[in-house]
Parts: sequence; C-alpha cells; structure tokens
Amino acid sequence: MPKLKRDLTMEEQLARGPMDLPFLMLVVLLTGIGVIMVFSASYATALNEGHAATYYFIRQGIFAAAGLGLLYVTSKINYQSFRWMSVFVLGFALVLLVLVLVPGIHTNRSDGVKRWIRSIGPIPAFQPSEFAKLGVILYFSARMSKRGSEKKKKFNTRTLSGTLLQKADGWGFTELVPYGVILLVIMLLMKLEPHMSGTILILIPAAAILFAGGVRLGWFALGGAAVGGLLALTMTGYQSTRILVWKDPWAYPKDGGYQIIQSLYAIGSGGLFGVGFGQSRQKQLFIPEPENDFIFSIVCEELGLIGAGLILLLFVMLIVRGYWIALHARDRFGSLLAVGVTTLMAAQVFLNISVVTNFLPTTGISLPFFSYGGTALMIQLIEMGIVLAVSRQIPAPKQG
Amino acid sequence: MKGRKQDPVSRTPDHRANRIVLTRTLILLAVFGVAAFLPLFGRLYAIQIRDHDMYEQKAIDQQTMDNSVAANRGKITDANGKVLAVSATVYDIIVSPKDFASVQKNWDKKYASAPEKATYARPEAGDVAAGLSEILGVDTEKLLKSLSKDSYYEVAAKRVEKETADQVRQFVLDHHLSNSVYLSPTTKRYYPCGSLASQVIGWVNPNLENTGAYGMEALYEEELAGQTGRVVTAKKGDGTEMKYSFQDYYDATDGNNLGLTLDSTIQYYCERILEKGIEMFDVRNGGFAIAMNPKTGEILAWANSPTYDLNSPWTVTDPVLNQYLETVKNDPSAGEEAYAAALSQMQNQQWRNKAINDTYEPGSTFKSVVLAAALEEGAVNENSHFYCPGYAVVADRRISCSKKAPGHGDQNLAQAVANSCNPAFIAIGQKLGAEKFYNYLEDFGFLGPTGIDMQGESQLSPVPNLIWPRDKFTSANGITNLATASFGQGLQVTPIQLITAASAVINGGHLMQPYVMKSITDPEGNVVRQNQPTEVRQVVSAETSQRCRTILEGVVNGGTGKRAYVPGYRIGGKTGSSETLDSRRGIDHTIVSFLGFAPADDPQVVILLMYDNPKPVSAGSNFTAKGYYISGGNMAALMAGELLSNILDYMGVEKNYTETEKSMVDVTVPNLVGQTAQVGRESATGAGFTVRMVGEGDTVTAQIPVGGASIPSGSEVVLYLGAEKPTDLVTVPDVRGKTAAQAREILSQHGLYLKVGGSSSYMSANAVAASQSINVGTSVERGTVVECLFADNTMVD
Repeated sequence: MPKLKRDLTMEEQLARGPMDLPFLMLVVLLTGIGVIMVFSASYATALNEGHAATYYFIRQGIFAAAGLGLLYVTSKINYQSFRWMSVFVLGFALVLLVLVLVPGIHTNRSDGVKRWIRSIGPIPAFQPSEFAKLGVILYFSARMSKRGSEKKKKFNTRTLSGTLLQKADGWGFTELVPYGVILLVIMLLMKLEPHMSGTILILIPAAAILFAGGVRLGWFALGGAAVGGLLALTMTGYQSTRILVWKDPWAYPKDGGYQIIQSLYAIGSGGLFGVGFGQSRQKQLFIPEPENDFIFSIVCEELGLIGAGLILLLFVMLIVRGYWIALHARDRFGSLLAVGVTTLMAAQVFLNISVVTNFLPTTGISLPFFSYGGTALMIQLIEMGIVLAVSRQIPAPKQG
Repeated sequence: MKGRKQDPVSRTPDHRANRIVLTRTLILLAVFGVAAFLPLFGRLYAIQIRDHDMYEQKAIDQQTMDNSVAANRGKITDANGKVLAVSATVYDIIVSPKDFASVQKNWDKKYASAPEKATYARPEAGDVAAGLSEILGVDTEKLLKSLSKDSYYEVAAKRVEKETADQVRQFVLDHHLSNSVYLSPTTKRYYPCGSLASQVIGWVNPNLENTGAYGMEALYEEELAGQTGRVVTAKKGDGTEMKYSFQDYYDATDGNNLGLTLDSTIQYYCERILEKGIEMFDVRNGGFAIAMNPKTGEILAWANSPTYDLNSPWTVTDPVLNQYLETVKNDPSAGEEAYAAALSQMQNQQWRNKAINDTYEPGSTFKSVVLAAALEEGAVNENSHFYCPGYAVVADRRISCSKKAPGHGDQNLAQAVANSCNPAFIAIGQKLGAEKFYNYLEDFGFLGPTGIDMQGESQLSPVPNLIWPRDKFTSANGITNLATASFGQGLQVTPIQLITAASAVINGGHLMQPYVMKSITDPEGNVVRQNQPTEVRQVVSAETSQRCRTILEGVVNGGTGKRAYVPGYRIGGKTGSSETLDSRRGIDHTIVSFLGFAPADDPQVVILLMYDNPKPVSAGSNFTAKGYYISGGNMAALMAGELLSNILDYMGVEKNYTETEKSMVDVTVPNLVGQTAQVGRESATGAGFTVRMVGEGDTVTAQIPVGGASIPSGSEVVLYLGAEKPTDLVTVPDVRGKTAAQAREILSQHGLYLKVGGSSSYMSANAVAASQSINVGTSVERGTVVECLFADNTMVD
C-alpha cells in the first residue's frame, strides 16, 4: 500500500516530481529510431553470418526495452543516494578494469586487445570502461558538489613543505589531487587494454564536471597540455598511421582506409533525400559491421541529408535539454550529474559522427542509441535515467 | 526547503560559486550543444550535396558487376556461300591453386581422421598435374608450378576444343576437384580453307581480344564482331551477386556475316598457278594473281605468294621464307635476337598483301592503257604504221627495243602491239602528247586509290614519288618521261590500279570501282548491306574498247602472248617484263607479268598474273636454270594460259575450235571391243578418228589404242576383227626439237600417238618439243600415248 503524501520525507516527495518530458521524449524517440536503424543496417550482415535477418534487431530491441525499464527505475531513485553509491560504482569499475586484463576473463581477440569482459552465464559481454564512465561521473559530481562545504585546510607555514602545501592549496591544487589520481589510475589501466577512445570518453565528462564545478581555468590549460603531450607521445606506429589514413584514406585502401572510404561512399550516395529506408547498398558487406560504429553512414545513405540532419538535430535538442536540466537542477550535485552525463553523450555523438564523416581520425566510438551493443545501450539509458532523476527534483517555478 | 534541517554551509549560499557553475554550464552548452555540431552539419552538406555525384559514382562502380556477354563473330563466305572463316566456342582451362588447397583441406577435414571411410582419394597436386598433362598435352612440371602458386587464376591451357574440354570436365568430376580446375568459354576462329586467300581474309588475333588483325577480318571488324552484351548486376562487398536486386541486360548482338565476291575455285586456280610458276621459274620474290570480273569490278580471286595458313598465322610455311630463316638459324654469328627479328620479318612478309601494298613499274602490260588512250583520241588508228630499227632516240637518249637491231621493222598498229614494240609506243605516246597522256593517267585512276574495300591502299591522291607531277611531266624536259611512260616504265602503280584500268580498256570503257564485299547479312540471313557495281567514270568509248580487244587478242594470237593461247577460247592480253630499280643498277631483278582477259569478244574475266624476280641461271643471263627465257611472254603468259583455261572451263564458257585446232584437239577413244564392225567404224569416225580394220570377223575383238585413251582427233584407230593384236613392243623415238606436226608423224610411224602438253601455241612453226613424257629408247606397247611439251624460246616482249 503506497504511503500517503504527508508521510513522505522531503526527498521522497521531491523524487516523485514530474520527469522532464521533453528529455524523456527525445530519449525514447532516439532509442526507437536507433533500434529500427539497427535492423536496417544489420540484416545483410546477419544473413551473411548465417543468422536470421532480424537477429541483431531482436537482440537490440530486447536490450532497448530492458534499458528503458532501467531508465524508469533509475529516474525514480532519489538521486541524492547516488552520492554514497558513487564510491562503490567507481570502486566496482576499477575492479572490473583490473579484471579485464586477466586472461580468461576478457574476450579473445585476434589483435590482443582486452576491452571486453566475456559473457558469463546470463550476463552479456560488456566493456568495463562503460562502468568507469558512470563511476567517474557519479563520484566526481558527488565530490565536486561538496567543494564549497569543505573546511579550509590549515598548514604549518613554518616548515618549507607546509609553505608549499599552503601555496598549492591556495592555487586549488590539493583539491584536485584525488581527481587526478583516479583519472591517472584509470588511464593507466585502460592503456593496458589498450582503449584510447574509451579513455577520451572518460576524460571529457570528468573535465566538464571539474570545469562546471569551478576549478580554476589554469588547471585545464595544464591538464589539456599534459593529455595532449601524452597523446603525442603515444602517437607511434599504429596510431600515427591513423593520421595518415585520415588525411588521405584513398592512399590506404587496404590498411585502415577501407572503412572510411566505404563510409564516405555511403554518406555521399545518400544525397539530399537518401536512397530510402532499407535500401542501403553499402551495408551489403561493403562497410564492415554496418550496425556498429558506422551505423550513421547507413543512416545518411538511406535517409539522406534531411534524415541525418533531423537525427543530428534531435541529438542537439537532447543535449541542450540535458544542460537545461543541469542549469535548473535543485542542487549542485544534480547540476554536475546532468553536466557529466550530457557532456559524455555529446562527446560521443560528436566524435562518432566526426569519424564516419572523416572529420577526425578513426577511433572506435559508438553512436549512442544507434550503434548495436546491448550493455552499452542499457548503461546509456541508465545514465539518461539519472538525468531524469535530477529533473524530477527541479523546483516548480513559482506561481504568479 | 521548508521543514528541512539545513546544514550550516548551505544556509550561507555561496552565490559566487553558484554563478560560476551557471556560467560554466552555459559555456558547456554552447560548446557541446551548438558549436561542436555546426562543423558536422557542414561536413554532411559537403559529402552528401556538394560531392554527392562523385561519391555516388564511385559507390555504383563498386556495387555493380559488369559482366560481358560475348557476341558470336560472323562468318565469312565466298560468292557461292562456301565458308572461309567461322567461329566456334573453345575453352581456356584455368586452375585455381588457392581453391585446390581448400579442396584438399576439405578432404582432410572429412576423412583425415578416418581415411578408410573416404569415398575418393585425397586430391594431390602431382596426380592432378599428371592427369591434366595427359589430357591437355601440357608439360606436367609447368602444371605443378601453376598449382603451387598463391593465386586463384592460372591458365593451364588456352583455347582448348570441346572434346578436350569435356575430358577435363570429366576429370574434374572424377577427382572431386570442384572449382579448383574450371573451364572458361571463349571463341576461336577457324579457317576451313587454310591458306586460301589468306591476305584477303586476314585473321583475328586471339591476343587482342579476338579482333581482326588483317584483311577483311580487320576491315569489317565492326560488322563481324557484333556488339558485346553486358549484364550489370548489383553485387555485395564480397563480390557475390545481390539477389532480388536490379539487373540490367544489354543483349549481345551477334556479328553479321560477310559474303565476299571471291570464288574459292578460281582462287584455288590462281594460287596453284602462282605456286607452279614460282617453282618452275625459280622466282625469288613471290608474286600475285588477281582475277576480276571486268564488267562489275568484283574481285573473283586475289592470291599472293608467299602465303600462310590462317589457322596458324605465325607459322612460316613458305619454302623461300623458310630457307631464309634456316640460314639465319644456322648462322653462328646471328644470335637469338637476330633470329627473332628475322622471324618477325618473314611473318610480316607472308602477311603482306603484295597486290595492293606494293607498287611496281607495270612495263609492257601498261601499253594496253596507252593503246586505248591513243585510239580514243584518234592519235593513231589501225592503219597507222610504225618503223622500228631496234631502238628509239628521245632527247639524245637511246632507248632500245626488246628486239635489238634490225628491230621489228615496219609494223601496223596491231603488229606493234603484238610485238610489244617500244619505239612504236614511244611514237604513239608522242602523238598523243604529254598533256592528254596525263589526262588518261588520271582518268584511268592511276593517280588515286581505286576505292577497293581492302586494307593497305594508300588514300593519298596522288601518292608522292610514284608518278611524276603533271607540270613536270608536261614540261619540255618531260619528253623522256613521256617516252618511258608509253611503255610502262618510270612510273609506279599498284597491281589493283592496273587491273582496274585494264578492265576499263576492255569492258566498254567503264572504270569500275573494284570491290571484295558482296553483301553483309545479319545472323538471320537478312541482307544488311550490299555492294553494287559502281562506275567511277567512262574513260573511253565502247567502240575504242572494242578495237582494243581485237588488237589485244592479236597479242595472244601469234604475238608476244601466244603462250597464253588456249585452243577453243578467245583470249586477249598483254605481256610485260618490267625493269626495276635493281635492274637499272645492274642487279638481276625482272618482274614478269601477264594481263589477260577472255573471251575476247565479251570478257567475263580479267586476270593479272605477276612473278617477281625469276632467278637467272647465272648473273646477267636471260635464262633460268630450267631453261626458261626470262620474260612475261615465256613465263607469265604460259601460266596465264593454263589459268584462264581452268577459269573458263569452270565458268562454263563454251569452246569454239578453228579447223586447224580441231585436228589437234584431244579426243577420248571410245571402247569398241565387243561391238560389231559396223558400229565400231561409225563410232570411231563419229568421234573424229580415221579407222583401220584388221581381220575378217564381224565383231571388234581388240583395238589400238585402248578405250579411254586421249589422243588428238584425226588420229588413226586400229580395230581388230578377230585378228591377233600385235603384242610386240616398240621403241620410243626422240622427237625433241621437232615441231608438233613432225613429232606426230614420227610417232605415228612407230605406232605411237602424240599428245600435246600444256596449252601453249604449239601450232607455231617456232614451237618445238622441249620434253617428252616417255624417255627415248623405252620399250612400250603399240598405241601408247607420248605427251610432249612444246616451247617457243625465240619470243621476247
């Protein structure tokens, strides 16, 4: 028997507030379109692999349904409880990031990359980096929201180290240490997989949360320079070929350029109105795994500039609405959560579309709600649920 | 926030911090929500709209399969529908080593663990190579090498015929090779008549996608080849066809059939006579024979020597060319390269269409054209007289006649032509005048192409350096040119130009455009194109033409061309022995030729027969090793007589004998044994023989000669009526050096019969037997026929 309203705590009452309908509608719309596009993009591959034409479609559909259920459940949670949960999520994610490196737990790939924890029992295969994203967003938001309430530390200024620490604290350095350590550990673990695109997708929302949280701008310049330097250092062999391929994919039709060439053919043949839903020819074994990272090129081919532009517009609206929720959130934690999740999604959409249009060098970043992948979709929907949970507690505008 | 216990910090809200969060979130919104996506819209616009066509085209290129559908090449037939060239499907045998490896792997997968269960042996490269080698006749080692390569496509054998292909197919089935050995259909051109009319028909080059390389095959390539069809299908990324997708067919159109004006039989006669003459006269540079219908310009035969088999155009078969190759091969100083160069040179020589590619100085055959021009212009007539002292002096240059001093003496026009007298023709040319002479060169078509549909005719008009320009020819200095041109020297013409002009001389004055293509029919037999006789212009009047025919008949009737005489046929013509650039430099090189037509009153065929460079027995000699005098009259005319006789017989032209001829015509003796004496006598007399009866019986018991023997009409046939036929042998007397009449008399005294060989003018008092078929002193039965060949070596032209 449900409690009467007067028996609810303040938080419980707030958590029962209305969800942000525009955001919800956009999420549902994009998920629906995404699942349908997975069907169109995947059936040729499915048939070729000896599955039924609807193989990928049905699986993605089931995950989408489950994900929407999880979204609803998440949105019902009083997000304040994420504050304490965040530590465990992050801790769990770190454990997974270690586990994935253990032989026998990760999936075996011919290239030796260890990004996936293999399916065990009913649990489907998944990437621990997805949890890491969530964990970082939750933990950083929670920690960052307490920033103003922390006592100023006092250091013994009579010792040299004390003076230095005092200075560092004055510049806002000491408060950054825990964030930095967490990010460094994650970067290190993911370097061992290796998984650069995943790392980028953790760094960007983390930076956004720190940025919105009020960390001095100078540190971003420093952090940006450090990450840039690290990137430059790792740009060896395999990575630098990507730059060459990006500059002229036709010069490397075999090694690396193939995918991007095929993607450009698909997008280009779409024209203004597209070749029609389900009519893509590039998905007929030209684009490798068209239901995956390159699904947007199939969208462009089938639906044309108009269809692709509309979908892009839906993403933009969702992102803007996400920031809108952040601006109107009840407290700073809510704001930062919304900022982190929204920025993560924005970065993912931006990077994915940049890659399929060869605006940026190839990295394996999937398109939220579209790319085939059950666990990723579910986690994305949970993240959306978090934003919706924040939206529930937005104070109603004052009447009159 | 009512009723809630506030912590101390949030009770003192940090407005400044909140403002920072607000502004920074707005900045993030601006960056990630708006700014980042603007370039993406731009990028999509650039790819989908601006570069749409380029990407779409590239995408379509890779998404479609364009398979060609071969069209069947049309046939080439002669005037009677005899097939000269036809295409048939043959197969390339392809091995795919990679597929072979997977065939082996599949066997291993199935049976390696339990070999006893295997229903067939594991396919091994060695067995396959050996098996294919046996079927295809290809080296086993080579096949093994192909099978070990890392590829999907290795040609094991090219253009294998159906029977062999079937064997390969069976071999593949038997050994479960599936797609690791397969057949790829292609076409091969067959030339059922081998070397017949090679240079005219030409051949298709299998190395150049079966396109025509020479001759009609090349000239009518588009008509014959047809239109290759295309099937455009959508394909997937792995190269397989996309089902239920679009498919565009562009049907292959089979090539049209080409009907030629050539007549295989006449062609065969021409080639045979060419070969025969080359052999008889030790001809070094080959020759040609063209036969044409003078009324229409249709080419009936076009033979060149050296020649080759169209079915293997790279093989050199001509004995003269082969001899040269042998010398190069055996020359220790000449390496592989020299041999390859020589081979290629010989190949080009045999492919060369001498009768149109080459020009030559026509020599006296050209006089027929000069004669027509002079008669037409009234410069001379049948009553004109010419005096020949054996030479003529033109502009201080002494030009000698073929008959040296005292020369031909006084001659009328017909005699001058029959004697092929150079001084007379110099006079004729001068009477005609350079200006008019040159007009006729133009009108008879010597300054431009004849327009024949055959490869290799220069399209320049005039072709530089072959004939003098008009201004030079008609200038005061041109007088010697006019003089030499009058007897066909100093100017270069192509054989086809000469025979076309000569046709106009004898056909009523019409210069016809010669042609080889008679009709083009589509595969269903509907006529697509047809060549009709085309008159270029009327050059001389019908009357002039008729006068020329009469005069030219005189050439064969007792003139220089009398060796071309064939009893029963009225043949006209003109002999020629051309000087060449070589001979003027003192190198032995004469071109002997004969231009002939028949019947003289209504020509149905005109021929031009030429032998290039008969070898003298020794340097500077006028005779060949076999004793033939090197001249058109003694060589080309002799062969032309036989050729024309063959052609006219084939054409069914009726023979009309003169009284003297009748006495010499061979008649077959009927078999009269068993007949009554009465019937025997009547039959023998009726056949044109005189009869002598021996014995008293009523029935013919034996006869001399036996029935079926061919002896001159008017000879005596002996019929035995019961009396014993003498069985004693007689000795063959020597009749060499005797005239026909003498020989006949001598042989008859020995109880033998004379058969006149060849078709030369044996009635001539000068003609004496050069050889006899049965050697002197041989003992033979009574009534045996001795064949003698008569030759007249006193003639020059």
